[in-house]
Amino acid sequence: MSIQESIQLKEKDGIAFVEFDLVGEKVNKLSTPVMMRFKEVVEELKKSSFKAVVLKSNKPGIFIAGADIEEIKKLKTKEDFKTVIDQAHQIFNDFEDLPMPTVAVVNGACMGGGCELILTCDYRVCSDDKSTKIGLPEVQLGIIPGFGGCVRLPRVVGLQASLDIILAGKSVDSRKAKKIGLVDEVIPAELIEERSVDFVNSILSKGKRKKRFQPKGMMNSVLESALGRGMVFSQARKMVMKNSKGFYPAPLSALDVVKKTYGMSNRSKALQIELEGFVKVAVTDISKNLINLFFMMESVKKQTGVKGDVKPRKVKKIAVLGAGTMGGGIAQVAADKGFFVRMKDINNDSLALGYKQAQSIWSKKLKRRRLTKHEFAEKMSHITGGLDYAGFGNVDVAVEAIVEDMKIKKAVIAETAKHMPQDAIIATNTSSLSVTEMAEAHPHPENFVGMHFFNPVDKMPLVEVIRGPRTSDEATATIFDLSKKMGKTPVVVKDGPGFLVNRLLMPYMIEAMFLLEDGMAIEKVDRWYTHKFGMPMGPFRLMDEVGLDVCVKVVKIFRESLGERIQVPEVAHTLSKSDRLGKKNGKGFYQYDSNGKETGVDSSVYKDLGLGQPTNPLTEKECLERGVFVMINEAALALIEDKIVETPQDVDLAMIMGTGFPPFRGGLLRYADSLGSKYVVEELEMYATKCGPRLKPTTPLSQMAASSRSFY
Amino acid sequence: MSNANKSDRDVVLVEGVRTPFAKAGTKLKDVHPAELGRTALQELIARSNLDTEVVDEVIIGNTGNPSDAVNISRVVALRSGIPLKTPAFSVHRNCASAMESITLGYEKIKSGTSDVIVAGGTESMSQLPLLMPPAIVEIFGKLGAARTTGQRLSVLGQLLKADLKQIVEMVTTSPFAQTPHKPRISVMEGLTDPFKGINMGQTAEILAKEFGISREEQDRFAVRSHARAVAAQKSGRMAEEITPVFLAPKFKEVVSEDIGPRDGQSMEQLAKLKPFFDKKYGTITAGNSCPITDGAAMVLLMSREKAKALGHKLVARIRSYAFAGLEPERMGLGPAYSTPIALKRAGLDFKELGLVELNEAFAAQVIACEKALNSDEFCKEKLGLSGKLGEIDPEILNVNGGAIALGHPVGTTGTRIVLTLMKEMQKRNVQFGLATLCIGGGQGGSVILERED
Repeated sequence: MSIQESIQLKEKDGIAFVEFDLVGEKVNKLSTPVMMRFKEVVEELKKSSFKAVVLKSNKPGIFIAGADIEEIKKLKTKEDFKTVIDQAHQIFNDFEDLPMPTVAVVNGACMGGGCELILTCDYRVCSDDKSTKIGLPEVQLGIIPGFGGCVRLPRVVGLQASLDIILAGKSVDSRKAKKIGLVDEVIPAELIEERSVDFVNSILSKGKRKKRFQPKGMMNSVLESALGRGMVFSQARKMVMKNSKGFYPAPLSALDVVKKTYGMSNRSKALQIELEGFVKVAVTDISKNLINLFFMMESVKKQTGVKGDVKPRKVKKIAVLGAGTMGGGIAQVAADKGFFVRMKDINNDSLALGYKQAQSIWSKKLKRRRLTKHEFAEKMSHITGGLDYAGFGNVDVAVEAIVEDMKIKKAVIAETAKHMPQDAIIATNTSSLSVTEMAEAHPHPENFVGMHFFNPVDKMPLVEVIRGPRTSDEATATIFDLSKKMGKTPVVVKDGPGFLVNRLLMPYMIEAMFLLEDGMAIEKVDRWYTHKFGMPMGPFRLMDEVGLDVCVKVVKIFRESLGERIQVPEVAHTLSKSDRLGKKNGKGFYQYDSNGKETGVDSSVYKDLGLGQPTNPLTEKECLERGVFVMINEAALALIEDKIVETPQDVDLAMIMGTGFPPFRGGLLRYADSLGSKYVVEELEMYATKCGPRLKPTTPLSQMAASSRSFY
Repeated sequence: MSNANKSDRDVVLVEGVRTPFAKAGTKLKDVHPAELGRTALQELIARSNLDTEVVDEVIIGNTGNPSDAVNISRVVALRSGIPLKTPAFSVHRNCASAMESITLGYEKIKSGTSDVIVAGGTESMSQLPLLMPPAIVEIFGKLGAARTTGQRLSVLGQLLKADLKQIVEMVTTSPFAQTPHKPRISVMEGLTDPFKGINMGQTAEILAKEFGISREEQDRFAVRSHARAVAAQKSGRMAEEITPVFLAPKFKEVVSEDIGPRDGQSMEQLAKLKPFFDKKYGTITAGNSCPITDGAAMVLLMSREKAKALGHKLVARIRSYAFAGLEPERMGLGPAYSTPIALKRAGLDFKELGLVELNEAFAAQVIACEKALNSDEFCKEKLGLSGKLGEIDPEILNVNGGAIALGHPVGTTGTRIVLTLMKEMQKRNVQFGLATLCIGGGQGGSVILERED
């Protein structure tokens, strides 16, 4: 019964209205039952004598969100996929072949399968509502448009516009949709009911059509020509390789499909080619990993960061202590989402840096026309600053981002609490100090919590919400919710050295220093990590970003708190005596110009560190395994023994969002599982014998291997 | 009589703050007056830990009326985070615009209409525009109406001719002389009395001559204004009422002090300046007049009951105010006309005033006010009083300097003098104070405050 109601067929003045409104769901999606129901509707339409057919949605803000990803997740074999897609092709083809003209009326998000469905219509109109977005995000999940999108979109909007959307998994708003010819008309959202019917009536006399892209202007005509196409394809391929470094097969497969099918008159043959291309990538682990990541992100949206029914507090006004790189970044991100932010620092020059940081981020958007000048001015006015505690009297949350010194932090926290409402929350952005100890300075430690952002704040999506032993559920939930409202992905972690992400990164960076001592070249190791493993930057570049003085300091702290698993390499001692601070003073493992752009490794670095010129004695396999496996080793301890986080998902999400650990590998622990704990342990034992006890497998990891268990 | 009973509907000042004042054309010249206003208002909100939801209305004085923010009060309010529901309007009473914003707020609270009012003023005299003269406006009108290319070319030809005439006029006439093709300078027109057609400086010349005020007397007054302002800067007193302006987009500079007061301003230096308005017999120079200036100031007004309920510290209550009119050509005497009325409304005697902020548009005009109020003849004949009010003790007059040193952003000054007065009354434990100013067009305005403990 309910599935009948989910797609209803109504009639008015001889026009059929196919109305999507999935019962019991927030959004419309093309699950198998829905497709079966749609098939029924199409059969009915085939037999009818309606003047025209209109596709529409009765859900606010949504047309059709796409295929059911839960279902995709369950499909395993090539045959599974083939059955589902063949069926969909049949239904879509039947709909496309209806004798009467068909019109899609899009008012809301129309993604993936939804977009592919409207491409089978003769005409498309959409509303100018902000929610109206049409696109094909499939490649983000490691698959390609499989319901005919690779075949039909290029036909409708031409090669360039379609590759733009398909290869990057993008969507377009109503204005762009009209511009590229994806829709025939944009109608004001308030008038869409009435005026879309007017539109349908206006096309009755024109009847069916198969829209074909007509290039406008000389340049476009050339690029659409047989000769020009070759150029477009090779350019597109270059872009894809540049963006994906070849790690993601989906865009390449999509490109291949478009190349083979563009201009092909035999529809079923073209769809068959698309199907082959789809199946090839859909069965890969890469796609599975990306889909898992999607679900992890979805689940964060629903989580509160605590167990049980705890409501986060309403936050209106935020204070940031310290307007430096982190403080200024936090202020910008909060203000960007509409919070009023008060920065406090010790002098006007520091405040000016905070303003400047926000200004530069937004002015880039202004230049790219992502913001109007009025929006820009409004955002800027959401940040104010001062040298005293003025304005703290009605601040809901203060985030502390001052110098990493426990004594100073404690003093400032105690002082700040005096100027805030009794129950106000103070959060620390510390990356290396104990949240538990810091909480002692707060007169109400239940309102003290860690909120660890990553640098650069506007780009890095992770926030570690550090829950101290006395932190209340309400404070945790409030900071968790606030992180989400600031557009970030929060992961709740327990207090402990380096919390989660830095704790895992530290042995990784230390191992890189050992590789250096073993005679490896800096840029070679980094290149393997980026181009062979898929990290956004190699360990040496990362250390330069963090600051070498900070790295060395933290290594020593770790050695104290974590014991002999942390070995301090000789290089660290030499480093701390050199003037190499990393990117911030233009000189670290690499050199940087005045704009902070990396200009390569200077050959004197090896000598400065008391090393000979690199001889690169180690294999790629060893270099990558030592770095990645020490992280797995540490993660086993952090997760299983210290319970810093609760699930392997937490580790994977944090590593992907906080360090850019390659998403296609599914995260650190999924990657470990794909290798098997036994293999990891064997390799670590081998490296430990060769290089030192720091590489010895930790107890929980050894136990996993002994009983052949995996993290998940 | 002087100790009026406290009432719940008393209008009290809770907090106040201003931007630095900067001589026009200097550091703040590129800052839009709405941004100046925002800077002051957001700091006012911060310093008073104000829950913006409780604000009933925002009233801001402004005379320049920038064409891209015609109701500048609303722009300032929304940019500052005042809720959408809260109305805002701008007021214009020339030099007393930002006193009008306070007295209007006073009336609204006193009557029970409102409980919380943000009042203030903002002005960028640097950004007052040059206006196209009618002869050229007409050509642009024709250009818009031209339909064919031929018509358009012909109008463009006219424009070229007019431009050439403009260049000729620029070379052949004096800088401020008005001609058919030269742009009209709105700051000059604004400072010219529209009824009598004479410049504000010329009104001061009239007073200097009628009251026999010498050049030396005026220059000495100017030197004192600078000395007091500089002392207030050095002691940190001035900083208490100022919030810095960070200069976007580079944020390389922060303006945190007034740009105007000159350390070591001497009589000799002032003596070198030529009279500006009456070259031969005049005494008014750029040195003994206030400079045109950019800046904003805001105060927070509440009913006594609301302020107490919200837990705010009270600074001063407004006891009374008065505006009065007089001959436009003697506008500088405005304070002498409005002050006795305000005193009467407050039930106070002139001698009870412990501090006076009398805006220094021109040294001559301040001195003329002093002389007028200390003259039986003037007070009887012109003000209809039984006799003179008395002498203003120089030790209580403009104790931190005045507009000659600090500058006079026309739409802001009214709030600035109330702000300075309320802070100083607290500092000196003075019970009653007067803030008063002269108003272009021939008016005076006065506000009398009583300190709150």
